[in-house]
Amino acid sequence: MARLTTESTVYVTYIATTPEKCWEAVTTSAFTKLYFFGRSIESDWRIGGDIVYRTPDGTVDVQGKILECDPPHYVRFTWHVEMIPELSHLPDSIVSYRIERAGENVVRFTMTEEHPAPLDERLLEGGRWGWPLILSGLKSVLETGKMFKADPPGAPPAMQEYFKELRK
Amino acid sequence: MSKSKFLYVTYIRTTADKLWDALTNKELMKSYWFNMHQESNWTAGSSWEMKDSKGEVWDSGTILESQRPHRLVISWQHQHHEDVRAEGYSRMTYLIESAGSLVKLTVSHESDVENSDLIAKVSGGWPMILSSLKSLLETGEALPDPRKAA
Repeated sequence: MARLTTESTVYVTYIATTPEKCWEAVTTSAFTKLYFFGRSIESDWRIGGDIVYRTPDGTVDVQGKILECDPPHYVRFTWHVEMIPELSHLPDSIVSYRIERAGENVVRFTMTEEHPAPLDERLLEGGRWGWPLILSGLKSVLETGKMFKADPPGAPPAMQEYFKELRK
Repeated sequence: MSKSKFLYVTYIRTTADKLWDALTNKELMKSYWFNMHQESNWTAGSSWEMKDSKGEVWDSGTILESQRPHRLVISWQHQHHEDVRAEGYSRMTYLIESAGSLVKLTVSHESDVENSDLIAKVSGGWPMILSSLKSLLETGEALPDPRKAA
């Protein structure tokens, strides 16, 4: 029996960089392509404006609206998965990135994935699996300047089970 | 099932052996663990201690499992604050797996105490320590202590 949850996923990492440089790495495609599974990012970073993550072939992966934005420290936006048909009917999640100075050349980066509408808890495995990979890459790209070559994403077992159930 | 649990995953551009060494080498540890270090011979059944730079013991316990370079389980009791010490033993596991050109490190720290104060405290510390460890392995330099800033 599927269990529904509104639990948030939170990931914290400390990066040797400045808030300005970290903001740039989060909001510009030149950087996101290096660590976000090749995704580019588009937004005017204004409240109410669109935000889009696109795959290298131009397909819209994720689409949302900016809810809050305070460069270079905070952005919060709705998150709607477009690319995976099994997920496109789901209610929006909300993702935020918080960047805080934690030393002369260190920032504390916090990603929070909120689920205002209850979701099958197996779906949270996608984020729990993907964010550590993406944000380990963000840190490496900022600290080493080199692309972070992660294996292409494949749905974790709990999500595959969910997909299988949908197709029945 | 444990009542309180902290779980963290990080991917590091290194090898499983280098990561194992960094997690168990006293001198390397001092650079990324913000002046704390651990003492043990890292074999199953041996004792384990976490000390500060003055040699005071903050945590102690026993190595429960040791499979170099993939899995280490420590039975871990806090010693410094009496109320946290009273929670008894928690269990900390390092799981090291190969992930293409990267190494995946999973740290889980669990307690059978509901709303464990120890787990709440380490939940703030682990991301800092593991970020510093990743920096050390990838760039040769650990992070400066974020607690000394702000």
